[in-house]
Amino acid sequence: MKISLNWLRDYVALDASVDEISRAVTFLGFEVEGVVTTGAPKLEHVVVGEILTRGKHPNADKLSVCTVDIGPAGGVKTIVCGAANCDAGHRVPVALPGAVLPGNFQIKQSKIRGQLSDGMMCAPDEIGLGSDHAGLLILEGKPALGTPINDVLPPGDTVFDIEITPNRPDCQCHLGIARELAAWFKLPLVYPQEQFRGEVGGPARADLLAGVEVHAPEDCPLYTAHVITGIKIGPSPAWLQERLKAVGLRPINNVVDVGNYVMLETGQPLHAFDAKKLGGNRIVVRRAAADEKIVTLDGKERALTPDMLVIADAAKPVVVAGIMGGENSGVSADTTDLVLECAIFKKQSIRATARKLALSSDSSYRYERGVDPHGALEAAYRAVDLILATAGGQVVGPAYRVGGDVPWQREIVVTEAFINEKLGFAIPAAQMRAAFESLELNVTREEPTEQPARGLAWTVSVPSWRDDLDRPIDLVEEVLRLYGTEKIPAAVVQSPGLLTDDDPIVLFNRRATDYLVGHDFHECVNYTLRPAKEVAAWTTAAATAELGLANPFVEEQSHLRPTLVGGLLASLQLNQSRGVAVSRLAETGRIFLERNGQTVECAAVAFLLAEAVDERSWLKREGADFYAAKHHLAAIAAAAGVDFARQPLTPLAGVPGWQEGQSAGAGDIAHGWQARFGLVNLALVKSLGIKGKVYAGLFAILPEKLSADAARRRFADFSLLPAALRDVALVVDAATTSAEVQKALLKSARAAAGNTFAVEKVAVFDVYTGPGLPEGKKSLAFNLVFRSAERTLTDEEVNAVFQKVQDDVVQTTGWQIRK
Amino acid sequence: MQEQLSALLAKAAAELPAVKTRPEFEAAKARYVGPHGELTALMKQMGGLPKEQKPVVGKLINEAKTGLQTHLDAALARIADAELAAQLGPAVDATLPAPDFGPGTHHPLTLVREEMCRILRKVGFTVADGPEVETEYYCFDALNTPADHPARDEKDTFYFPAASRFGNVSKKSPEEKYLLRTHTSSVQIRTMLKGEPPIRIVSPGRVYRRDTTDATHSANFHQLECLYVDKNVTVRDLKALLDYIFASLLGKDTKTRFRPHYFGYTEPSFEVDLTASHLPKVKKPWIEIGGCGMVDPTVFEAVGYDPEVWSGYAFGMGLERLAMLLYGIDDIRYFYQNDLRFLKQFA
Repeated sequence: MKISLNWLRDYVALDASVDEISRAVTFLGFEVEGVVTTGAPKLEHVVVGEILTRGKHPNADKLSVCTVDIGPAGGVKTIVCGAANCDAGHRVPVALPGAVLPGNFQIKQSKIRGQLSDGMMCAPDEIGLGSDHAGLLILEGKPALGTPINDVLPPGDTVFDIEITPNRPDCQCHLGIARELAAWFKLPLVYPQEQFRGEVGGPARADLLAGVEVHAPEDCPLYTAHVITGIKIGPSPAWLQERLKAVGLRPINNVVDVGNYVMLETGQPLHAFDAKKLGGNRIVVRRAAADEKIVTLDGKERALTPDMLVIADAAKPVVVAGIMGGENSGVSADTTDLVLECAIFKKQSIRATARKLALSSDSSYRYERGVDPHGALEAAYRAVDLILATAGGQVVGPAYRVGGDVPWQREIVVTEAFINEKLGFAIPAAQMRAAFESLELNVTREEPTEQPARGLAWTVSVPSWRDDLDRPIDLVEEVLRLYGTEKIPAAVVQSPGLLTDDDPIVLFNRRATDYLVGHDFHECVNYTLRPAKEVAAWTTAAATAELGLANPFVEEQSHLRPTLVGGLLASLQLNQSRGVAVSRLAETGRIFLERNGQTVECAAVAFLLAEAVDERSWLKREGADFYAAKHHLAAIAAAAGVDFARQPLTPLAGVPGWQEGQSAGAGDIAHGWQARFGLVNLALVKSLGIKGKVYAGLFAILPEKLSADAARRRFADFSLLPAALRDVALVVDAATTSAEVQKALLKSARAAAGNTFAVEKVAVFDVYTGPGLPEGKKSLAFNLVFRSAERTLTDEEVNAVFQKVQDDVVQTTGWQIRK
Repeated sequence: MQEQLSALLAKAAAELPAVKTRPEFEAAKARYVGPHGELTALMKQMGGLPKEQKPVVGKLINEAKTGLQTHLDAALARIADAELAAQLGPAVDATLPAPDFGPGTHHPLTLVREEMCRILRKVGFTVADGPEVETEYYCFDALNTPADHPARDEKDTFYFPAASRFGNVSKKSPEEKYLLRTHTSSVQIRTMLKGEPPIRIVSPGRVYRRDTTDATHSANFHQLECLYVDKNVTVRDLKALLDYIFASLLGKDTKTRFRPHYFGYTEPSFEVDLTASHLPKVKKPWIEIGGCGMVDPTVFEAVGYDPEVWSGYAFGMGLERLAMLLYGIDDIRYFYQNDLRFLKQFA
């Protein structure tokens, strides 16, 4: 809100500098968003002078030598001047030796090109009036010679743009800010004194207003109306126009301007009707009827609903209550009789209506935040005074007051010790009490507490405009504000130990990210909200629908992400499109998966391995493949406490986003975690404009399945004796998996070795298809490692077991040994 | 005998340096010291010598044997060296670039978050986490936000359709709507409901506002909040924490100041400004960095803590804003584009 310094000075004699006032406002708890100063600053030794003569400077073409009369006290001075308009007869500002002009420009008697000059005649910018430097400031109206220049120039003003926090509606006006500054600077606050105090002079004019009815008292606890007749609409006086213009309001006419002025002074909105336009001479405060409409002052037709409060005449709504008047009843140039409304509306009602109509005004802004329930009458009186003063007329009876005085009494008891305990440092009791009283939080009782160590106890009476103060802790803030938050003393951080660790999700993310970064991945951060099209590429249509927001802001951020890979592909595409070679990207974050018909929020880690298509290198490395993705995924699973090697893997067939035959999955989010990895669907990658193949991996886990404490590993003893190695190759169907064969071999080997010695390892080391094998077959070669903990194995016993293994596998599976 | 031994040594000295390979060497060795070698043959003649000559000749033979072994060792060492040298290619050009991608990089938001968490861990804060999809209770009600507060408006907060069901985000009451959390303060509520005081947590995380994306606004961004609950916690303690955090982060000359402000969930509330030297692209003496305050008694009541017994403070700030300040980044959108030229600059 814009606050004028001149205006503030009506209520408090501020003589602090603008910087000091800004600082005070800031530390009182209101952000100063801007300060604009208009008019000339205070200038010493700058007076009105008249140019008597103008002569050419003997040594400079562009300079003149003038004689200037600065009045009886100063006499006539000789001044060298460079301005084109320094003609005889002009009265101008003259800065004499000793003057200090804006920019710390010190005026001295000096020689200019050999010619003595006793001062300087000034252009507007030189005395701080804007930026005009075209010529000397010509003072119109023959001001007396020698007058200090500030007495001649229009007074300047400083306007602060202040952000008022929502808890302080009482500061949405000049009196509110003045009250705060008076408290800060320890100055008295002077309230405007109204002449009118509610006594009605003229006769009752039932022909103008015969009655006021409030049908919705819960939304309008107080409605007052005064009738003023015989007014003359016209422009406001200059002082009033200046005030409004200073704070950014356009003067309209005397009546409207007074309404605005009083609102900006007291925070209480007012409304004036043309009395002749009130149908049936009545005012009815009621809810709108269904299908009722009103054309508001901004020229728009508004459809009203029955929850909205309106001010109506006998027939029709004339104001959307507290928000905006209608075109049908406003004050116009020929208005002579008016009804002045000053009312209290319930803030929730105004807020709901303003929001529903998407209509707000200075009035609704204040009502929504709450106005002083006891300030309405004072504001009405103040407005009557000003209307009578600026538009003439007289108040005629009766004065209407519907609704009672909203009851207000609030007292808070607070002790000195309580305040000091909350602050953690001591403020003298006298200073606390002074802080309360300076804010008109009157102390109605002061007494020692029952426990002497707790100091004094105060009963503080809270004024009606401070609805934000309700509890002792609220008063702690008031004391601290006036004491000054800058004076909070330094201290050492108190840090007794706590027996907790970081959340398991945090530990998991940290481990996974460190692994990936350690493996040359660049960690990315993408938006959680994705376009529907991207989401649909990674999940079913039904699941996509479940992930949609009710109120997306933009189309490309409408759905929760079901994968991190979509975002990583977007990052890959962006880099490729910018010609930045990129290969490894990774991200950790939340994704949203379908589980038993519900959506679940999962912790997830994803990476992608892209062909660095744009990179040219003197030495070519092998590209990524499916097994690289598998390798990294296993490491991420391990970071979540999942032993990936023990998990059955399923080929992904028809899973959105993944290339069938080139990708696999493990786990199921229904059981707590899920992994997907392999080649990203080629068509999808192509449709995104990405060049080259992309392998990726995604691991997702329910946060509640992550555990901080991994089971501690136990040491397993191992044999120091030599191993016996044997190799065997089996010819199997092309579709048979390595894991299947490995499992069969291991089973046979264990059976053959029995308890004699251990089968340490059965591991595939070669996969072959081609010449020498029948069509549709492949050969898988395995390495078998046998070892005993007690002795070195003999060839004979190992050979015997190895033979049994081969016989057994062939017999149980039908696979052939490849010789 | 002496002449024969000398001749044998001379022959070995001439012949062995020319031996190039291990098989050649083994053959040569056999010719000298093998069972049928020349030295072996000479040694066999010892048996026929008169007894008094034996010590003399024995000594000569031993000397010859040692000499021969020296030649053999030298030849073997030379062959072993040659074998190793054969494994090497030409000398490398150390100035050629490594063809591998990398090193990997942490995102600047991760770097700043982890640095803040480390600083806070030193004074006993542990990292807490909570869901990003929240309910009205945890995001607003429990934090003393009035039912008609503008922050709840559909203009400012993302909501999910009434039919949405989130299996692992608990609701306080069935009629609550799901939303995307607008601040990480919901983690404070969940942490307080789950455990008992004292509490000291830092909750970094992603938050959402229904806002136009521009250089300083983003539809999702990250916050970091601290919550401290204990007995006798004071405003001065809060100030001490902020002083500590920013002096640790930006150097000992860093100062913070509190400006009174308003937040529904703290009382009193403050905005925090800091001033520090050497911050890139900063022109103002004081920079607003976050908000804080003493936990409002209403919040304690909402989670079942007795406000007469427990007191506490909370502090929150934007991580993007902090990262922008620390690194001199002037557009928030860079954090979400993941241009490698950006990502590689920070770690």
